[in-house]
Amino acid sequence: MRPPAEAIGTLALIVGAIAVAIFIGVEGALVYAVWRYRASRVAMPARFDRNTRLELAWTAAPALTLAVVFVLMLGTLRDIGAATDAQLRIRATGHQWWWEFDYSGIVTANEMHIPIDTAIDIELASVDVNHSFWVPELGGKTDMIPGQINHLRLLTRRPGVYLGQCAEFCGVEHAWMRIRVVAETKEDFDRWLATQGSPATASGDGARVFQSNTCVNCHAIRGTSARGEAGPDLTHVGGRATIAAGVLPSDAASIRAWLVDPQRYKPGAFMPRVPLSDADLDALASYLGSLR
Amino acid sequence: MSAVPLWVARPAGASAAGWLRTVDHKEIGVLYIGMGVALFALGGIESLVMRAQLATPNARLVDPELYDQLFTVHGVTMMLLAVVPLLVGFANYLVPLMIGAPDVAYPRLNALSFWLSLVGAIVVYFSWIAGGAPDAGWFSYPPLAERAFAPGPGVDYYILGLAVNGAGTIIGAINLAVTILLMRAPGLRISRLPLFVWMTLVTSFLILGAYPALSGGLVMLFVDRQLGGHFFDPTAGGQPLLWQHVFWFFGHPEVYILVLPAMGMVSEVIPVFSGKPIFGYRFVAASSVAIGFLSFSVWAHHMFAVGLNEFETLLFSVTSMLIAIPTGVKIFNWTATMIGGRIRLLTPMLFAIGFIAMFVIGGLTGVSLAVVPLDLQTTDTYYVVGHLHYVLFGGTMLGVFAGAYYWFPKMTGRLLSERLGRWHFWTAFVGLNLTFLPMHWLGVQGMARRMWTYAADTGWGPWNFVETAGAFVLAVSMAIFALNVVRSLRGGAIAGDDPWDAFTLEWTTTSPPPPENFRTLPAVTSRRPLWDRKHPEMRDAS
Repeated sequence: MRPPAEAIGTLALIVGAIAVAIFIGVEGALVYAVWRYRASRVAMPARFDRNTRLELAWTAAPALTLAVVFVLMLGTLRDIGAATDAQLRIRATGHQWWWEFDYSGIVTANEMHIPIDTAIDIELASVDVNHSFWVPELGGKTDMIPGQINHLRLLTRRPGVYLGQCAEFCGVEHAWMRIRVVAETKEDFDRWLATQGSPATASGDGARVFQSNTCVNCHAIRGTSARGEAGPDLTHVGGRATIAAGVLPSDAASIRAWLVDPQRYKPGAFMPRVPLSDADLDALASYLGSLR
Repeated sequence: MSAVPLWVARPAGASAAGWLRTVDHKEIGVLYIGMGVALFALGGIESLVMRAQLATPNARLVDPELYDQLFTVHGVTMMLLAVVPLLVGFANYLVPLMIGAPDVAYPRLNALSFWLSLVGAIVVYFSWIAGGAPDAGWFSYPPLAERAFAPGPGVDYYILGLAVNGAGTIIGAINLAVTILLMRAPGLRISRLPLFVWMTLVTSFLILGAYPALSGGLVMLFVDRQLGGHFFDPTAGGQPLLWQHVFWFFGHPEVYILVLPAMGMVSEVIPVFSGKPIFGYRFVAASSVAIGFLSFSVWAHHMFAVGLNEFETLLFSVTSMLIAIPTGVKIFNWTATMIGGRIRLLTPMLFAIGFIAMFVIGGLTGVSLAVVPLDLQTTDTYYVVGHLHYVLFGGTMLGVFAGAYYWFPKMTGRLLSERLGRWHFWTAFVGLNLTFLPMHWLGVQGMARRMWTYAADTGWGPWNFVETAGAFVLAVSMAIFALNVVRSLRGGAIAGDDPWDAFTLEWTTTSPPPPENFRTLPAVTSRRPLWDRKHPEMRDAS
C-alpha cells in the first residue's frame, strides 16, 4: 500500500487537471460569449430559448465526469484512514494546546518520531475539546474527539522533519499547537525510543528547584517523583527541537525566557508564571535543557 | 431634492405609518436591506481587523481572545445576520411586484419576522459590551462551546440571538412561500414564474427544513450550558458529534439559502441584458428544486475527518458530488442565454457575469471537498476559507450587487452611476481574487483556519500580506458602492418605469411603486408579460 500523502497527491493531480480543464472550458465560453455578442456587434438578438438534447447532454457530461472521479477516489481510500497493515501503534492525545504521544507506555510530547518504511496506526484521542491531527506532507487530517478513538494511517519513505498543526479550532492557543514529526531510519528510531524509555537524572540544583515547586503538579519527569499529567511530559524535553508545542527552541536560554513569562510567548496557555529567583531560574533552565 | 419619492410612491395627502409601524412589504424590504447592509459593514470591519492581524507573522495587533471573538462574530454575521436579511429584503420588496400582488400574504407577520430578525442580531452584538462576544466559531462545536471551556456569556448570546433571529427567518419564509403559491396574478402559472421568484420559493422551503434543526441544536446547547444537561458532554455520556450532525443538517442548506436567491437575481439580469429569454427555463427552475432536495443530504461532507464509517463516507461523498450537476446546469444555461444575444455590458450585467466567473471557481473547489482524500487534506484549512468566500463573496455578493444595480431604480426611482458602478465592479473583482485566491495554496501548505497568528518559519507571510492588501481593496470597493448609493439617493438620474427594457411585471408599475403596487396589471400569457406588451407583434409563446 502507498504512503497516504503519495496517494492523495496523485489523486489531487488528476482531479486538479480535470478541474482546470473544466475551468478553462467554462470561463472560455463565458468570455467568448461576452466578446462575440456584445451590443456593438449584434443588431438583433436571437430568440431561441431551449434545446432539450443539449440540456440533457450537459446534465449527463458532469455526471459522467464525477463518476470517473468517484472511481479514482475509491482506489485511494484504502491507503488512508485506518491502517490495516500497521507495524507500529502510537497513541496521540490532544490537549489544550499540546500533543501527547504514547509509544506503548513511553510517553513524550509535541515531537513525534517515526520510522520510515513502516506503516503506523495513530490512535487519536482527546482529553478536553476537539482537535485535529494534521501533518500535510504525511497525509490528511483526522479529528481527535473526546469520548472516541479515531485512527489515522501514516507511512513515509523519506527521512526528514515534517511540520504540522492542529486543524480543528480548540480554543485560544489553537494557533500555537504545532506538531513536529521526525521520520528516521529504523535504527535511529529504535535508538531514539530506547532513550525516551530511559529515566531522567534527578540530581543537581535544577532538579531540586523543579521538585520543590509547583512544576510537579502538572509535569512528569520519569525517574523522579514528578508525575503530573496536566502538562507535557518533560523527561527528555531537552532532546526535542522546540518547547511549548513549537513556540520556542529548546535551548536553555529560550527555556529560561519561557519560564520567566510564558504568557508573553503563548498568551492564554495554562502554563503559569512561577516566581523564582534568578539563580533558581538559571538552574532550572539548564537542568531542563540537559534532559536529552 | 427631486420630486420623485423614495421606496414607496404615496399619493399626495396619504399618510405613512412610519418605519416602526409599517406593514408595507416594500418598506419592510427596505428595512431588511438596511439591516443587512449595516451588519455586512460590521462583519466587514471584523474581517479587516483579522486581515490586519494576519498580514505578518507573529503580529500582536489583537490578542487571541479578541481574534477568536472576531472570527466567530464575523462568521455568524455573514452567514446569518447580514446576507440572509439582504436576500430576504430583496425578496420582500420584489416578490409581490414580480407576481403582480398588492403585498405579501401576511403583512403584519412580515413586520414581526423583520423585527425578530433584528432583535436577534442586536442580542448577538450586545455581547460585545456584556462580558464578551461568542468565541467558539460560527459553528460552535462542543465541547469547546460547553460551559467548561467557554465559561463567559458569549456563547449564550450566540444561542439566544440566533434562536430569535431564526424564528424571524422561519416566519418570513412561511410568508414568502404562501405569497408565491397563492397570490400570483391571473395567468401567472407556476411554470411562468420569474426565476428569482422560483428560487425564492425553493429558498423558503430550505429555510423551513433547515432552520428548525439549528433551533433544536441551540436549545440542546442551552440546556447543556445553563441547565446542567449532557447532550454534547462526553464525560457524562453525551456525544459531541451529535451537535455536528444537527448543525450541518442546517449549515449546508444554509449555504444554498445564501446562494439560490443570488442565482435567481442573475437569472433575471442575464436575459434582460442579453435581450433574450433565459435558455432552458425548465432546467434552471428544476435544477433549483434538485439543489434544494440534495442540499439536505450532503451535510456530513463537513465531517469527513471525524471518523465516519466507510458507508457514511461514501454516501456523503456521492451526494455531495451529485449536487454539482444541477449547479453546473445553471452555469451552462446562463452562458447559453448570452450566446446569440445582444449583450449590454451595464453594471448589473458586469456583476452577473462576474458572479458566474467566480462561482465556477467556488463550485470546482467545492467538488474537490466531496472527494474524501482531498477533503481530508483541505478541510479546516484556509483552502476551505477560500472556497467558501468564492461561493459567498464571488458568488452571492456579486449576485446581490447585480440585483442591487438592477432593482435600485425600481425601489428609489433613481439610477445609480454607471461610472462608479464600473469602478465598484472592477475593484471588487480584483480585491476578492487577491484576498481569497492565495488562501487555497496557503491551506494546502498547512495553514489551518482560525489561527490568530503563525510562525515566521512557515513561510506564509508574503501571501498573507497579499490577502490583507486585497481585503483593503475590497473595503475601498464597498466604499465606492456606498458613495454611489448616497449620491444617487440625493440626486440620481430619474429612472422611469422601465429603465432596462426588462421583461417582468415589476417594471410595469411606477418607480417606486404605489402602496398597493399596481394600478393595472398587464395580461400574463407568457413568462415575459412586459416584453409581450412592448412587442405585440412578436409575443412569446405561452
